[in-house]
Amino acid sequence: MIRQLSIFIQNEIGSVASITAILKKHNINLRAIASFDTPQFAILRMIVDQPEKAKTLLIDSGFAVTMSEAIAVELEDKPGVLHDVLQIIADAGIGVNYIYSIVFRQKNVPLIIINTDDLEKTKQVLTDNGYSVPEQEDVIL
Amino acid sequence: MIWAREETLARQEIEEIQFTRLKATLKRIYDKVPSYRKKMDQAGVICDDIKSLDDLHKLPFTVKQDMRDNYPYGMFTVPRRELVRIHASSGTTGKPTVVGYTRNDMAIWTECVSRIACMGGASEDDVAQISFGYGMFTGALGLHYGLENIGASVIPVSSGNTQKQIMYMQDFGTTLLVATPSYALHIGEVAKDMGIDPAKDLNVKIGLFGGEGMTEPMRDEMHRLWGSDMKATQNYGMSELIGPGVSGECLELCGMHINEDHFIPEIINPDTGEVLPPGEKGELVISCITKEALPLIRYRTGDISRLFYEPCKCGRTTVRMENLSGRSDDMLIIRGVNVFPSQIEEVLLKIDEIGPHYEIVVDRVNYLDTMEIKVELADESLLDSYAMLGELENRIKFNLRTVLGLDAVIKLVAPRSLRRFEGKARRVTDLR
Repeated sequence: MIRQLSIFIQNEIGSVASITAILKKHNINLRAIASFDTPQFAILRMIVDQPEKAKTLLIDSGFAVTMSEAIAVELEDKPGVLHDVLQIIADAGIGVNYIYSIVFRQKNVPLIIINTDDLEKTKQVLTDNGYSVPEQEDVIL
Repeated sequence: MIWAREETLARQEIEEIQFTRLKATLKRIYDKVPSYRKKMDQAGVICDDIKSLDDLHKLPFTVKQDMRDNYPYGMFTVPRRELVRIHASSGTTGKPTVVGYTRNDMAIWTECVSRIACMGGASEDDVAQISFGYGMFTGALGLHYGLENIGASVIPVSSGNTQKQIMYMQDFGTTLLVATPSYALHIGEVAKDMGIDPAKDLNVKIGLFGGEGMTEPMRDEMHRLWGSDMKATQNYGMSELIGPGVSGECLELCGMHINEDHFIPEIINPDTGEVLPPGEKGELVISCITKEALPLIRYRTGDISRLFYEPCKCGRTTVRMENLSGRSDDMLIIRGVNVFPSQIEEVLLKIDEIGPHYEIVVDRVNYLDTMEIKVELADESLLDSYAMLGELENRIKFNLRTVLGLDAVIKLVAPRSLRRFEGKARRVTDLR
């Protein structure tokens, strides 16, 4: 499983930048980031190389932050692979909450981050179907 | 401890004192204050028409505008040279309201505040930190003199510079805090940020709060921050009447005891001016019966309250006024519905997932009133999903609708992003 940070942000100019500024200042590397164009506030989700440290720094700066888990799945870079994964999850009767991706992985294959109703079961069905489900340490590479 | 014998007199005895003092004060006002004499003449009432306290209702009201019309000294019954102190209320529009004290008025004021401090649990053993702003506002100097008079060690730190406030609390061993409730909450939050738990690491056991009303959920919040054993009371006054010292809560917490040998309270229907019977809710009207420089008769406070005459378990027999449910001039009329900000606060403070600070913005869009309420998210576990945040918004909205009969737009904002106040909180912005 992957540890992700969820941060409350207001829909105001510079709100995401105020978070990335803190990460930059403390040399924390972003692996993935996702937010959506909700009207008033948003939950910004991030995966970073030092989640505990990032959480503490952000809370100290007055942000509301929570750490939770999500599944990372390694996918080949070709059409239809995401569908195969989602079909497996759907067939197992698990609901997907949200999906985002890790783009920059140097020589490694792309990673998709998935949050579902039942993370343990999701991990199990994906592993059973031959997918690689990396842990936190693997993503840091 | 009960400070003065006058707080425990039998009702008949209190009323005899009140009547004698009212007569003397009224005569002086009639002789010295042309504007009030004119009002009495227009109403066709003379001093001799007041034959008992029951005749009080025959006298005309004094209102804030009278003070403005007679700015600065026109309502005073003594020559300027007899004043030893001048204060002014923070007039947000136009000229401020000027009040003055003779030497004897200062003694009365000090006595009244001493009584209220004792009601709230203060004694000569206390180290009292006064975190009201000093200056033209009567709050700080009023509490200052009253607490000094009972023998407490007074620290006149004034408001602001919150970290230094906390340093003084630690280093000087502050046991008693005088502040607005909103500033007391802010000091507690800042202490926590500094790694100091106000309930455990500080020794503040008494809070004498004033300058603005404190609702019950706000008192709960005070206990949560400062410790469940804090004696958190509030007191009431306004500069026109004397400043702090008109009334205060005792530790039984069943309303604020009015210093009745100095002030006569009435409750009126704010629309008709008719006096309401004991226990009914309406606008508080106060007559000052001992002050020399500026005794106001039947002053309309604009505050909404009720009066209870039953003697209190604390041993005092003075009438109690219910903690304010709002000011008649704070009342917002939104789409024809009367809304007091204190009602909104009651709802918000009962919801655990949000913090105690809030802002209300009232506006008019396409001729329709709108109300937006900003609240700070306090429970970060809700960040797991939009659904949980949405549920919170809906719950706040539903609870408000149940109490107010109105829909408000709820805006969740980041923790610590709303404005904090060092004096009276100004949480309502009316853009209409």
